Amino acid sequence: MISVHNLVKAFPQKDGNAFYAVNDVSFNADDGEIVCLLGVNGAGKTTTMRVLSTVFKPTSGTAEIQGWDIRTHPQEVRNNLGFLTGDTGLYNRLRVHEFIRYFGRLYSMQDADITHSMNEMAELLDMKDFMDKKIEFLSTGMKQKVSIVRSIIHDPPVMIFDEPTAGLDILTARNIISFIRSCKERGKCVLFSTHIMREAERLADRIVMIHKGRILAEGSLEALREETSQTDLDDIFVYYVNQYSEDTKVEAHEF
Amino acid sequence: MNFKKVMIVYRKELMEVLRDKRTLFMILLLPVILYPVLIIGFNAVMSRQTGVLEEQGATIAIQDSVNTAVSARLLEELSKIEHFTLIPAAENAQSLYESKDIQSIITLRDSVSADGLISYHVYVQYDGTNDRSELTFTKIRDALVASEKAMVEEELQLSGINPEIMNLVDVRRLNTADSQKMMGKVLGMILPYIMIIMLLSGASVVAADLVAGEKERKTLETLLVAGVDRRDIVIGKYLTIITLGMINLIVNLFSISFSMQYMLSQAGLDLAGAGMPIKAIFILLAAMLPLATLFSAILLSISTFSRNMKEARTYEQPLLMVSMILAMISFLPAIEMNNLLALIPIINIALLFKAVMLNDYQLSHLLLTILSTVVLDVIAIWATIKLFNTEGILFRSEDDGSSIKSIKKGVSKSKKVFFTPYNGMIYFVLALLLLFYLGSYLQGRDLGSGLLMTQIFVILLPVLLILKIFKFPIKETLRLKAPKLKEVLLVPFIAIPATILVALAAQLINTIFPFPAEYLKNLGKLFELDMPLWRSFLIIAIAPGICEELLFRGLMPRFFEKYGIKVNIVLTALLFAAFHLDPFRFLPVFFLGMLLGYLTLRSGSIFNSMISHAINNSLALIIVAFAGSSWLNVFVSGQDDLRYWLAAPAILILAAALYMFHKITGGKECVES
Repeated sequence: MISVHNLVKAFPQKDGNAFYAVNDVSFNADDGEIVCLLGVNGAGKTTTMRVLSTVFKPTSGTAEIQGWDIRTHPQEVRNNLGFLTGDTGLYNRLRVHEFIRYFGRLYSMQDADITHSMNEMAELLDMKDFMDKKIEFLSTGMKQKVSIVRSIIHDPPVMIFDEPTAGLDILTARNIISFIRSCKERGKCVLFSTHIMREAERLADRIVMIHKGRILAEGSLEALREETSQTDLDDIFVYYVNQYSEDTKVEAHEF
Repeated sequence: MNFKKVMIVYRKELMEVLRDKRTLFMILLLPVILYPVLIIGFNAVMSRQTGVLEEQGATIAIQDSVNTAVSARLLEELSKIEHFTLIPAAENAQSLYESKDIQSIITLRDSVSADGLISYHVYVQYDGTNDRSELTFTKIRDALVASEKAMVEEELQLSGINPEIMNLVDVRRLNTADSQKMMGKVLGMILPYIMIIMLLSGASVVAADLVAGEKERKTLETLLVAGVDRRDIVIGKYLTIITLGMINLIVNLFSISFSMQYMLSQAGLDLAGAGMPIKAIFILLAAMLPLATLFSAILLSISTFSRNMKEARTYEQPLLMVSMILAMISFLPAIEMNNLLALIPIINIALLFKAVMLNDYQLSHLLLTILSTVVLDVIAIWATIKLFNTEGILFRSEDDGSSIKSIKKGVSKSKKVFFTPYNGMIYFVLALLLLFYLGSYLQGRDLGSGLLMTQIFVILLPVLLILKIFKFPIKETLRLKAPKLKEVLLVPFIAIPATILVALAAQLINTIFPFPAEYLKNLGKLFELDMPLWRSFLIIAIAPGICEELLFRGLMPRFFEKYGIKVNIVLTALLFAAFHLDPFRFLPVFFLGMLLGYLTLRSGSIFNSMISHAINNSLALIIVAFAGSSWLNVFVSGQDDLRYWLAAPAILILAAALYMFHKITGGKECVES
């Protein structure tokens, strides 16, 4: 389970001012639930996820992953977290099983346990033929499967997917989508980010809309439809963005 | 630190690197092939060429303007040289020589001394840059010397004197250095240089790949979210670079020593059984290990800082160049290891290496070398871990946030844009280059006026020009604001004790790590200028007080204002110390720089530090100018050593004066910056 409280992430800029990539963001994601972080490019999705996965430290506010505070217990947070992006950056000179074993060991797993769950996953994802191959010789689809196994080898209760289908062909993207669904079925808490409305529509139990570092709206698709009286998610999103622009204009006037 | 995780990272990195054919080639294969091919190949070509030269012979034109029995005999001896053809010199001899049809022209002349003795002069014309011509000369000279000796012996015999008198003194070499040591001397010169460069280039191949490579291949983020602490990642990668650097080094060491041994034995030197003693190899490896760790740490931090591998390789270049220059010290004769040099990285290893090869090293030097390198090591690896935890640097490839620019406030825009730390460093480097080229040219012509012109044209003028060009208010920017009277009154009480303390500290360092005599002599020149005291005072005290202050307390702090007053003072003091281009005085100048920076930034008036700077420089002048006078002897012992008891009152006065200065200055600048 994920709970985010007033999370702020600011980056210093060359001119000395700070840029707020994530600005006072709060939301929750429960076990067995798929929550989608929806927003255009540069909205702050990736930064939010990087803070949650302890790659970045929050400027203020905090979050808990499975009850562990990201600021005080980063190691526990990482051990309870699986993280996957659309980038299939892998160590090309390692063989598939070596690569997976490396990450299993980093998660302090016993070798026997790694072997066991690796074989299980290989069976499930139909990877048996290339477990001994060097990663540089794999196709994109195969690499994506390797990444999936890498992210879940330690059986984490929380999964975070950052634009998991970005840059993938339709067949490989489907693998990912079904993998996300299977995570939910296994009772995991899933947070994924996307800028593709259709993906959010198909997968998410709840949608968190994020724009310019701030949350625009949050709720199930039905709830959002009801509130905005729009049916299409595109329209719903535009509705909230417009509302946000109006608000900031008013704010500017008040100054 | 989780040692188990460190080892997991280490083993994986090692496996990955060793699977890279390029790295394997660079680290293992290249040294194994390179040296034998280079050395043995070079050797073979050399000996072949010498043979060719020998057989090539020479045609020589002879101009005998003496024509006596003696000259005829000398020429006869020459004609006996193998492959030599003698021809009488014709009119066109000179043009034949120039067109290289003949290799030499020999002219015989004679002269008669006051007591009637005839002596013969043989002029041998040859081209010193041409190997063939050089060899010809050598043969001619040997032949002439031999025939001279024979003739003198005959003369002696005729006069009834035993010709053995010619061999009155017979010098024979009894070289106590055995072949082992002779080889050590040869290797001691070449090896340190090659080893240091090889170590660095081998390690850099690996280092660039380990972090910058991960950034490039987008695997870094995956690693960061894995269940491992960043410190463990850094140390695992660090150990990988050290290991491969050392493997590279060992392979190089063996390859070179085998090839060298082969070459020396081919050269006919009696080196039977001479090789690298096993003990020396182990000591060398022990000495190179700290350097390997230091290089690894620096390379790793470069790799961490870089966006991609190409950038990492670019940033490695300055390190490589500095190391090459420092490592060249092993080629210089007569530089021997001492405690001070043992503290300077790379130089210490190069000299130690040389000493070990001659089996003539001191344990204290070895320990000092290792200790000082380890200290630098810890700093470097600590900095790398810091870098690894700095998001802005670890993710420099991403443009988080920079795509959306926030609106700047119009008023201070140009000021903020110009006065950035980056521009500050550029300005500093340009000023340093100007100092190096123009300054040393000016001072080379005439030291006295050169120093003054350096202050004005190299240091002061560019500051004023740049402010004029970019239209900054000169008075405000440089803090040319009248100080309060109270501040000015306090400045001497700060400047004088501070000067004394810094001088005492330098003295103390000098007794522990003596400065080279040559260096002290050069420094002394500054004070022995043959000019009236008022002129020395102007050149040494007043001009730097004004010009250097306007640069380092006026302009430079403006570039670093974003870091706050404390960091600003330290940074500008570092630059100030570096600007003096003098490693021996770096620390003293750095401390003075911090004090001067404090005086200006705290009070907001540059005049305070100008006065302080001038006082500091004049004190040195006074001590030298009045050396030997009785009143000065109370404070100074010997030539110009301050007495140590001065430290006590100096500390007290300085502390009190600084305390009062701090109280009366409001620190408006702190708020401002």
